[in-house]
Amino acid sequence: MAVAVERSAVVTQRLKRHRLWRRIGHALTYLGLAVALVFFLGPFFWIVTTSLKGNEDFFAFPPVWIPHEPSLKHYAALFTRSSGARYFTNSMVLSTFSMIAALVVSLPTAYSIARWRFGGGLLSIFLLVLRMLPAIALIIPIYIVYKLLGMTNNYLGLVVVYTVLYIPFAVWLLVGFLRDFPVEIEEAAMIDGCSRLRALVQVIVPIIAPGMAVVALFAFIATWNEFLFAIVLTGIETKTMMVLVTSFTSGGTDMFYGEASASVVLGVLPAFAVAFMLQRYLVKGLALGGTKG
Amino acid sequence: MPALALKRKQWEPFAFASPSLVLIGFVILFPLAYSFYLSFQNFDLSVGSDYEFVGAKNYTEAIFRDPRFLGSVWNTAVIIAPSLVLELLLGLGIAMLLSRVLRGRPIITALLAIPAMVSPVMAAMAWRMMYGVKYGAINNLGRQLGILDVYFDWFSSPFISIVAVVLVEVWHNTPFMMLVLLAGLQSIPQELYDAARVDGANPWQSFWSVTLPLLKFTMVVGVMIRLIDLTKLFGLIFVLTFGGPGGSTETVAFTTYLMGFKDFRMSYAAALSYVIVGGVLILTLVFFWMQRVREARAA
Repeated sequence: MAVAVERSAVVTQRLKRHRLWRRIGHALTYLGLAVALVFFLGPFFWIVTTSLKGNEDFFAFPPVWIPHEPSLKHYAALFTRSSGARYFTNSMVLSTFSMIAALVVSLPTAYSIARWRFGGGLLSIFLLVLRMLPAIALIIPIYIVYKLLGMTNNYLGLVVVYTVLYIPFAVWLLVGFLRDFPVEIEEAAMIDGCSRLRALVQVIVPIIAPGMAVVALFAFIATWNEFLFAIVLTGIETKTMMVLVTSFTSGGTDMFYGEASASVVLGVLPAFAVAFMLQRYLVKGLALGGTKG
Repeated sequence: MPALALKRKQWEPFAFASPSLVLIGFVILFPLAYSFYLSFQNFDLSVGSDYEFVGAKNYTEAIFRDPRFLGSVWNTAVIIAPSLVLELLLGLGIAMLLSRVLRGRPIITALLAIPAMVSPVMAAMAWRMMYGVKYGAINNLGRQLGILDVYFDWFSSPFISIVAVVLVEVWHNTPFMMLVLLAGLQSIPQELYDAARVDGANPWQSFWSVTLPLLKFTMVVGVMIRLIDLTKLFGLIFVLTFGGPGGSTETVAFTTYLMGFKDFRMSYAAALSYVIVGGVLILTLVFFWMQRVREARAA
């Protein structure tokens, strides 16, 4: 009897210790993640508060981390003095049109690959290789050709480049969504006298719309984020947010903190929105280079 | 009637695929071919619009005689190596922490993923301001905590500049590695860990003999993708250092950009871009080959 009591005491003690360790483990896990969150989100926090500071807060010591009287005057200055509104609109327009065009062009190609295995595996590999291609190899010839055609500083020229650069990624993702689509449904529509193209547009598209929205959002972000083509091919009227931001670097590291931080806040806004909307697809999208134009 | 239907069917796949293929031909393949042709000429917009065939001169100059380009190859390697190691280790660590979290995992993951969605230009601009000498967050925080007693210029020496670039790159792309590795971790069946525990393995042993071997393929894919993307490093450098100080952070893509759009040596820049494409291709093949050799040895 005495032995049994003793043993149960040992067991409960061990259990207690086990629970204690588990609790410590959990605490350390959350602590580690908290450190990671501070590191990865800290810069955003600082940029947002900086964009709301008054000029006198920049000079203050001890430094002002959270402004006492937040003001939007840097945003107002960005929109009036630096034509921020215009460049923000440019980015919006370019991204929207490239996004729509990329979807419209890629969908039939993806359908062709998904339904008929068009091009065998070769076409898919070809598209993947295109995604790996460095943009720097394309910008030189495209710049020369555009210069000859008078297409620099032109919305259309940029939309065409962005659309085509995005086709490989869009096709890859869309093929996946189309393969999951039951072929019987479109066959039923076609037996009822629907042409294949109409079946694609009126039967398949509404059903795979969520998948297409994923591709669209990635396309939007990729165009929004693109920099190399934007800085070479845009002029004073067609600049994007990415190009505008670089104009604040010319005055050395200490210049224009107000407007520069405001432009960064506006420049990362779509990324924030999309990161939350696309949670489930982030791995696939990022792995295929979805956010890089 | 059946014959006609068959005929239409044969045409359809091609018709559906053609719009994007035609566009790819015009906007990607034709420019690539034109650029290849140009790389054997001496087209220099700062001299004039006439040019002539010079053979492989641009290539031999790039590979054997151009200290600036060769220096940029070295710089790119010096930036890539520590970035890859840190991104892999940090990404793995955070992914393992996340896989242990029971409550709130989706929201924490989405929050941590944000840097990877942001443009390199914006990431670099935010950090450029953080590194700022007088108003930057880092100097101000350091002084407030008493770690720094001067306003330090983080871009004053080549070594510290490279460290600064690597830090931004790690901040920007560790979230990607984390997402990939988290997906890999979640695909490892829990039974294997249970079996390891029954066999008396401690957490450390089960990490080495269950997690790592099963995660290896995911890690290889993640590193591969980052490696290829890092060879394109441009926007981050453009904003953060513009290649300075003294060209110590000039990457291959950035040097090629300067050759083309600052010096306007179009043919030479075209040749450089082909050298980069070739280099990346060789790098990729070597990587795959090494992987295959190691697997063959393990088997």
